[in-house]
Amino acid sequence: MHVTRREWVLAVACWAELLRAQSAEERYVWFDAATAAEIKAMAARIIPEDDTPGAESAGVIWFIDRALAGHDQDKQSLYRSGLAEAQAKRTELFPGSASIASLSVDQQIALLTAIEKAEFFQQVRLHTIMGFLSDPLHGGNRGGVGWKLMGSGHEMHYDPPFGFYDANGSA
Amino acid sequence: MSALFTPTDEVDFVVIGAGAAGGVMAKELSDGGFRVVVLEQGPWRRPKDFTHDELTVMYRAGLTNDPRKQPNTFRKTPQQQAVKQQAVEYGCMVGGGSVHFTSNYWRFHPEDFRERSVLGSIPGADLRDWPISYDDLEPYYTKAEWDLGISGLGGSNPFDGPRSRPYPLPPMPVKSSGVLFERGAKKLGLHPFPAPLAVLSQPYQGRAACIHCGFCESFGCEVGAKSSTLAALIPMAVKSGRCEIRPDSYARKIEVGNDGRVRGATYFDRQGREVFQRAKAVVVCANGAETPRLLLMSKSNLFPQGLANSSGTVGKYLMFDNGALVMGVCDHPLNEYKSVVVTRVLHDFYRSDPKRGFYGGGGIDARFDYYPIAFASDAMPKDTPQWGSEWKRSVGEYYTHMIGALGHTSCLAVEQNSVSLDEQVKDAWGLPALRITFQNHPDDMKAMLFIAERQKEILTAAGARKVWVDPSTVTETTYSRHLMGSCRMGDDPRSSVVNKWNRAHDVPNLFLVDGSSLVTSARQQPTATIQALAYRAADHIQQAAKRGEI
Repeated sequence: MHVTRREWVLAVACWAELLRAQSAEERYVWFDAATAAEIKAMAARIIPEDDTPGAESAGVIWFIDRALAGHDQDKQSLYRSGLAEAQAKRTELFPGSASIASLSVDQQIALLTAIEKAEFFQQVRLHTIMGFLSDPLHGGNRGGVGWKLMGSGHEMHYDPPFGFYDANGSA
Repeated sequence: MSALFTPTDEVDFVVIGAGAAGGVMAKELSDGGFRVVVLEQGPWRRPKDFTHDELTVMYRAGLTNDPRKQPNTFRKTPQQQAVKQQAVEYGCMVGGGSVHFTSNYWRFHPEDFRERSVLGSIPGADLRDWPISYDDLEPYYTKAEWDLGISGLGGSNPFDGPRSRPYPLPPMPVKSSGVLFERGAKKLGLHPFPAPLAVLSQPYQGRAACIHCGFCESFGCEVGAKSSTLAALIPMAVKSGRCEIRPDSYARKIEVGNDGRVRGATYFDRQGREVFQRAKAVVVCANGAETPRLLLMSKSNLFPQGLANSSGTVGKYLMFDNGALVMGVCDHPLNEYKSVVVTRVLHDFYRSDPKRGFYGGGGIDARFDYYPIAFASDAMPKDTPQWGSEWKRSVGEYYTHMIGALGHTSCLAVEQNSVSLDEQVKDAWGLPALRITFQNHPDDMKAMLFIAERQKEILTAAGARKVWVDPSTVTETTYSRHLMGSCRMGDDPRSSVVNKWNRAHDVPNLFLVDGSSLVTSARQQPTATIQALAYRAADHIQQAAKRGEI
């Protein structure tokens, strides 16, 4: 079989692309897998998947990982200490349970309700909302699912009328 | 831009700060034939550098002073130990706050300049008349409106002072919030009017009109339609061939000669090197917090308590922005995420009325200026769930259906409310941190709550089906973007820092031109007044310079 130079170049390019895609499989920068699973479970209760996509579909955990490895490095210790306290509360409420992720949905809600005033919960809540609604370039809000929930457009240009009331008569 | 001047060139003016006032000074002085170097601590962004990225702009100080590099400390009273806490926020870039402001462009009312004469003294505050009147400033309000490009309808606000010219551009198209606000206000017998806004409703002087993208307040305009000094004036200053803008240049000291005159300014350049720029005169336009800080850092043998501070009032009488936000949910979508923030305003409760039993009042505008992250995290009524399925459904249902009314209420000048240096905390350049001491006068809280009730009535009359006050906005003020009154203007050198031409009483070739000169805070929205003062000062400075009187 004769391989032209052009075919050879193409084949190499395809092979390189395949390698790149494999190595681009998402890996956590700051989280270990066990911690990520716990935070992911919390985020899933804060913005659940129901009739519309939630934190899971939006890839919120990837946003939080990047934030903690980058701009919000100063929150790492809060995540460590806060999660330890949350685990202690879990053991107290549900003796014998193994992890937040392994609790039932109702148990998870009971646990988060018990810690919702804590700084750690407030931080995870804010990070979850940020990961759901920030520009996808930050790692979350995949497919713009957060913006879709809010109904907020991100067009560069709108023309009036903008809403129902300015379209339907003046004051 | 390439350098026009070297630090050893003695230029005519060094302007410190390229914001709302500094941009005016840069353009006016260079147009007038003077050689000007403008030192700006922030970067020089172009329209293409601005984004719709809420996280970076709103939560990571994308366009504003970065508290990680420039920490503030805060305390309510001088007796307390100040703690690290961000207390002031300002646009940190060429164009300054005029780049990211909401663009409300209200003139102060004639009585704002003489409230002391009208109302008498207020216990616990130092209410004073201005050394100038509305009539003195009127020609410069007009000049600012026409130079920058302001959209509005002259004569539509029955409480405004007389004006010599209409606005150069018609008002922006009314939004749903404006329609409902006007409907509710008229039912109550009030006088809503189209918002005067520093945004182009039509193309103007080679600039494009607004395309209603919606990322307006807190963001920079990607098409240059917001009438910032960056879009409207800086290009003219540069075109003069006599003005050099030096971004990333952080002023640390104004230098004084043995004759008591200033000789120029020392700043850190982008690489952190100290540079001294010589100048015949210095104009400080660094804002109501950074201007007094720079003066206090510019101590010398001749001025041991800080430059231009023989009165001891540099930094004192700081005034902040007050006002509650009231929100409501409507039956149909308003889609307030589109276009400019404000299209209707009313001033019916602006004037202070002694019958109310307290000083102050406020203007109210129709707006719903929450971006998605802030709305979801902060704005929902606190007696409803803050996470989970029910909360998620409400957030999604409400966002496009929200209306708001924001109060812009009075803030009295109180001596102990101040900017000072915190020697215990240093910024990234090793300079003492900005320490804010601030506690609202009791009348400021009363005025805020009084106006919040009026806001609720208007939104209820407008047909909102659920109305609530954003709880975070009615607490004691500890944080502000409107930085006013810390180097007050006055005739008496014992109680004020600059004279009625914005010239320092103590130093003949030093001018302070920004929010720090304001004697009273009126009802917020100070940008138009800051810029009118800048045009007036520029006029005076040029005439004085030509007569050899600087």
